[in-house]
Amino acid sequence: MRIVVGMKWVPGTQSVRIDPKTGTLIREGVPSIVNPHDLPAVELALRLRDRYGGEVIAISMSPPPAVKGLEYLVGMGVDRAILLTDRVYAGADTLATSYVLANAIRKIDREIGKVDLAVFGQETTDSSTAHIGAQTASWLEWPYIYYVRDAWLADDGKLHVERILEDAIEEWELELPAIISVAMRSIKPRPVSLYNKVRFKTRPDTLITWTNKELGLDTRCTGLKGSPTIVAKTVDVPEVPRKKVVYTPKDGDDAARWIIEALLKDEKASKALIKALKEG
Amino acid sequence: MSWSGTETSATQQVPCKDLCPEWECRNPDDYRGVWVIGETGPEGILEPSLQLLTPARKIADKLKVKVTGVLIGYGVRDLAKQFIEYGADEVLVVDDERLKEYSPQVYGEVVVHLVKKYRPEMVFVAGTMRGRELAPYIANHLRAGITADCTDFDADEKTRDVFQIRPPFGAVLLAYIRTPNRRPQMATARPNVFPLPPRDPSRTGEVIEEKIDHVPKARARLVSRKVIPRTEAPIEKAEIVVGGGKGLGTPEGFKQLEELAKVLGAVVGGSRRAVDLGWIPHERQIGQTGKSIKAVIYIAVGISGAAQHMFGVREAGVVVAINKDPAAPIFSQADYGVVADYRDVIPNLIKRLVQLKEELKKGSPEPKG
Repeated sequence: MRIVVGMKWVPGTQSVRIDPKTGTLIREGVPSIVNPHDLPAVELALRLRDRYGGEVIAISMSPPPAVKGLEYLVGMGVDRAILLTDRVYAGADTLATSYVLANAIRKIDREIGKVDLAVFGQETTDSSTAHIGAQTASWLEWPYIYYVRDAWLADDGKLHVERILEDAIEEWELELPAIISVAMRSIKPRPVSLYNKVRFKTRPDTLITWTNKELGLDTRCTGLKGSPTIVAKTVDVPEVPRKKVVYTPKDGDDAARWIIEALLKDEKASKALIKALKEG
Repeated sequence: MSWSGTETSATQQVPCKDLCPEWECRNPDDYRGVWVIGETGPEGILEPSLQLLTPARKIADKLKVKVTGVLIGYGVRDLAKQFIEYGADEVLVVDDERLKEYSPQVYGEVVVHLVKKYRPEMVFVAGTMRGRELAPYIANHLRAGITADCTDFDADEKTRDVFQIRPPFGAVLLAYIRTPNRRPQMATARPNVFPLPPRDPSRTGEVIEEKIDHVPKARARLVSRKVIPRTEAPIEKAEIVVGGGKGLGTPEGFKQLEELAKVLGAVVGGSRRAVDLGWIPHERQIGQTGKSIKAVIYIAVGISGAAQHMFGVREAGVVVAINKDPAAPIFSQADYGVVADYRDVIPNLIKRLVQLKEELKKGSPEPKG
């Protein structure tokens, strides 16, 4: 199997700033990491390759520093990694991002070899839209499914997956090529191995960069221009009015007494508390 | 409030020649009306879909258009009445045996077909797990914009652009997102972010049955389904919620919270950090990327009070915080804060609540803490 896996280079913290002019993320000075929810996707791709043979190719549409993230995935065992980077990709919303990713998959399919499966993390920690899997499937017109936690090939060559929903576990069958998004925290990713790191150093072609010169996309379809949505403005989240009474108790019992008194003083809370205690 | 002066002004149309050639050129004036896609289950239209009738009504009234409910599946015709009773003006139904089983691509393409024919200006999809899977496919197939997890909506009557308001990056800011040159506009909102509109059995409305000639063959097909029995009430509906965070120090801390919850008939939830640490399952995460709770009482234990978490308790009634760190930001976002180690507080709280419970059962009329 030839499996493409997506990676997003995200801020390693929640406290990031937004450029008020463009509404996009200010990345300067913020240390970035591989989107943690992409790691189970990488792990599932590697397990499929280990079981059925083939190769795993990681792709990431990110600024050049994301090479560090791709190196990490190579260290996990990804066979090669392609950084998709160009100024004309900057400021992309999810539609414009998935356009670049879909076209990179097409180029891999044409020039490196037939792609059977693309795997994405369920969502990212910085924007959590969960759009990319479905949008990439839409560009490629491939079948897709979300929330996957296991996958295997059936005798007829179709991909079977187990997916986990809030209220059910389902098995699905997909014709290949297909796209799957892997459920968050569902599979423990393997650590980086020294062997893979050495292998990467001895094979410099493991890590390559495609700019728009290589991808040749119409710049009306990428970056800000290729994004139907724009951030019109940002405002602070309005504060919820709270009493903000803080108490330092003498001991645990004093704390318990104070909390119960406070709840009984509030009309709605008192009602709910008494009802719960009576029913329980 | 900081307005941005982006070069893409809302009133200025991008000429067709400047559009991505992959996008069909559309005149926004051809698009009118607000849609809500109804996700259905054995008990009818799911509540998260009906909840979206609340923002749909607000936007439709501002833009002076109708709210249309959309039902897709097999045996869904009779659910149209439910849509209307909760506030839809009309319902568009595709009831077809070939749509008996949901497959994201197939359902997506049916919605795309309907949108191309009827041209709504705004489409709402509930941000359930299935909705989050389906909606971006529809949007992308229409080469339209989509905004996930909106928490509020507003409309500009002049340009008819819908502001899709969402908290990005840790929930400190709200971003107003608009789609100036593309129709339809699309958005999802998580369950329980909007209230269920009141049901009015006397409401009437037109039901339009749409026949589909071609239903695409499903290339992703459900093989089997095993229902996970629910062991407890969903957190988003609980009257009393006890939440735990990283400050508990150990996963065992949650055992104490479970004990407290048992006395209170409460449901236990947690912060994203607690979920990341594997102390509590994701479906009980409270916060921007988890659940929004509407509990009358929320007791946050060992939770620092990150904006991401507090976003999920905006609609909660009384917020009690127990944290040993007096500098924890939660104290300025709670009603009642106790600076103490939860290991000292929780057992005593349980003891006193059990006492109170016995007094109540004995029929003591006015309990005093």
